[in-house]
Amino acid sequence: MELTDKLEILADAAKYDASCASSAAPKRSSEGKDGIGATNGMGICHSYTPDGRCVSLLKILLTNFCIYDCQYCVNRRTSNVPRARFSVQEVVKLTVDFYLRNYIEGLFLSSGIIQSADYTMEQLVAIARELREVHQFRGYIHLKTIPDADPALIEAAGRYADRLSVNIELPTQSSIERLAPEKSVHTIKLAMGAIRLKLDEKADEPKAPRFAPAGQSTQMIVGADASDDQRILSTAETLYGSYKLKRVYYSAFSPIPHSPKSVPLAPPPLLREHRLYQADFLLRGYGFQVSELLPQSGNLALDIDPKLAWALANRQHFPLDLNRADLAMIARVPGIGLLNAKRIVELRRMRRVRYADLSRLRCSMKKVAPFVITADYTPARDTTPSETLRRAMAERQQQLALWPELQAA
Amino acid sequence: MSGAASALDWPAGPVLARDFAEWREAARRLIVRRVPPESIQWMQHAGDADLLSDVLADAGAANDAGAESAPHAAPALRVPRALMAMLECAACFRAIDRWAFLYRVLWRWQRGEQEVLSMADEDGARLQAMAKAVRREEHDMHAYLRFRERPEDKGAPRFVAWFEPAQDVLPQVAQHFVRRMGRISWMIATPDATVLWDGAQLHHAAALLRGPADIEDEGEALWLTYYRSIFNPARLNADLMHSHITTRFWRHLSEAAVVPEMVAQAATGARRTGQSKAVGRRSGTTIPVSAEQAQPEREQPRNLDECRRCELWQNATQAVAGQGPRHAKIMLVGEQPGDQEDLAGKPFVGPAGELLEWAMEQAGMDRRQVYITNAVKHFKWELRGKRRLHKTPAQREVLACHYWLQEELNQIGPGVVVALGSTALKSVLQDGGVNLKDYMDEPVQHEGRWVVATYHPAYALRVPDAQAREDARAAIVAALRTAWRLTQGGAA
Ligand code: SF4
Repeated sequence: MELTDKLEILADAAKYDASCASSAAPKRSSEGKDGIGATNGMGICHSYTPDGRCVSLLKILLTNFCIYDCQYCVNRRTSNVPRARFSVQEVVKLTVDFYLRNYIEGLFLSSGIIQSADYTMEQLVAIARELREVHQFRGYIHLKTIPDADPALIEAAGRYADRLSVNIELPTQSSIERLAPEKSVHTIKLAMGAIRLKLDEKADEPKAPRFAPAGQSTQMIVGADASDDQRILSTAETLYGSYKLKRVYYSAFSPIPHSPKSVPLAPPPLLREHRLYQADFLLRGYGFQVSELLPQSGNLALDIDPKLAWALANRQHFPLDLNRADLAMIARVPGIGLLNAKRIVELRRMRRVRYADLSRLRCSMKKVAPFVITADYTPARDTTPSETLRRAMAERQQQLALWPELQAA
Repeated sequence: MSGAASALDWPAGPVLARDFAEWREAARRLIVRRVPPESIQWMQHAGDADLLSDVLADAGAANDAGAESAPHAAPALRVPRALMAMLECAACFRAIDRWAFLYRVLWRWQRGEQEVLSMADEDGARLQAMAKAVRREEHDMHAYLRFRERPEDKGAPRFVAWFEPAQDVLPQVAQHFVRRMGRISWMIATPDATVLWDGAQLHHAAALLRGPADIEDEGEALWLTYYRSIFNPARLNADLMHSHITTRFWRHLSEAAVVPEMVAQAATGARRTGQSKAVGRRSGTTIPVSAEQAQPEREQPRNLDECRRCELWQNATQAVAGQGPRHAKIMLVGEQPGDQEDLAGKPFVGPAGELLEWAMEQAGMDRRQVYITNAVKHFKWELRGKRRLHKTPAQREVLACHYWLQEELNQIGPGVVVALGSTALKSVLQDGGVNLKDYMDEPVQHEGRWVVATYHPAYALRVPDAQAREDARAAIVAALRTAWRLTQGGAA
């Protein structure tokens, strides 16, 4: 089979993985050195496809042969899809060629399970090793870890990769048992735990061998089982807390060819995925807890963003005096993001904050207005019921950006 | 400012600034002489000034004169590095009045108007917007510039790119590619300048090409294959794509040519399954492996790990069983695994474990004869900020988990049990109402064994008062000593 054919099949098979970021790697440069590749700590998107998602990495599977039978996965053994397998050399060559032409920032490599978890993991590690040692490639490498693999292989993977990920895929044990019979929450958690121990060890002992400097991440599929957003976010919160993940990615379940009956036929609204990313961002960046965003079981609102939903449900904190409140609270005001919250606090060291400042900071005035007090402005206190505000501020139902960090929150 | 002084040092007339370095030099001299922004006319190109050539000649002379005399005559200008960096960045923004504007910012800042840097200030907002546009252009050039590979027999440069930057960002962008490409040679051509990297050094030149270089590059076909296949038609959202890359850049991206076809395919069918048409056309195959064969060989999970007697398993990594010799004389019972124990799967490996180790040594206890476990086998925790903080297990959880402690007691059969802390004591005595303090003075007999009670080592680490910490350590050592004596047949 030609390289193009393999690429066609194995990229198609990899597109269900939501992870794309190439950020958080330490800065590296090839200036004046043999080999190629640099990282600047920030990550760069090199293109966008018509689904609105960015292309920043060569995201492919080593092979889509797989002996597992995960129901949500197009590559499961009972799925009737064309199969292909790259050689180690082919993946290395594609990565280097694409990198030199400035198409990508690096490689995101995953694989179906062939023969055994250990065998598959060995192949993934071999590719990363070849890139790093033979080609002295200093670009970004993300390896998807096979949870059942020998910890020694995970350790080796961490020596070459910038980031490791172990996908939890589904938010509850019972869903995993039902939809991914060969997987085990237990080994998934053990793999994540092993990675965190290694990361901690490296953090405490700078001379320890290099280990996944950009940390670990995971992915959860949304809408393949009946779990609601509260369940999904609680699982995410638990994973963040237990394994210090850099990111949890949420991937709205995509219908797959010859879909088995055990998974839904229709995808969930993409907007649900977007709200989960927004909520996740509030957990990581703003100090929110799941119990604040979703005190009861259920889903996030689709018509308004989670921060606005929280503010409308907690009117007792508002309106907030921007000339007195602390930074964390200012950042909780709908329409004011972390960056603008910092700017407001900076500005008020020089002078009092006025209403017009907010529009110069490009805050969404419609959102901000009922929630703030400034030197020259006080909203009519508690006169507008939350329901009315909500109707006024609801977004028209539409598809939105899937990567909230690319937008001002 | 005295009019006479400025007339002497700086006759009115245009000041030439072809780049930031020239502007900075000029601005430095103007500022220390307190020449106000309104009285300076800035020029970008010497050629702009055909009509003004006479004036320019004068100004040039003045420039030189200033350079010699000014640094000593005038007080030094102190500008914070962050401000200079900001000005330098904004200077790459293509605006006719860029030098005049930057000078006004510097002028206002020098007069103590620090808000000139704030977004809430009119000049500040413009400055920031300029800097942002420049950074954005830099970013876009990092992202959307494409190298084509030239045939090897053509020699250097091996890679060639054409780009039309909207701001003056070529020099800094060239640095980015120097870091990226190592010793490989390349060239970036733009409508007004060219940079060339020979593998060791950068060379700057005037415009060399008039448009994109037409080079047959096979890599491009592979790239388009990848681009088509990584797209998920089930998520079609072309507007979003266009909102990320402005039209200006699409023109030179090879993938732009295949987008309409992809969108059309997605709209007619591919959307249902998310699979690309090319892949769907091929014949497929299932993998003939039976379900039993596919099951990975996992270490048989210990029954403990499958325990669902309470809810604690859900948020923990694993159940942590006790460790120690099969017929240990002493069993130490702690409360529950902590953050580290949960990850490692072993009891007492964290800081509390270290303290316990130390106490055993102090008490002369032979470690090899001790079995160490916990009353509750799964880590119970709550999130504080980004950390998992230990949370005391509820009585029902202690009761549920007693099942496992009992198993261990039956199997190991220790003569002495040391309960470390109140939770452990409650579990060992199977009585949720007991008070640790009441049991600390003397060992008691329970179900045919000695039970010695003392503090949990974590308490001895955590209690804020230094004296109390000392006392707690001493108490733990004393209790272990008592326990050890009991196993040696000593009296209670
Ligand atoms: S804490 Fe104990 S009772 Fe609860 S699930 Fe874990 S092992 Fe079972």
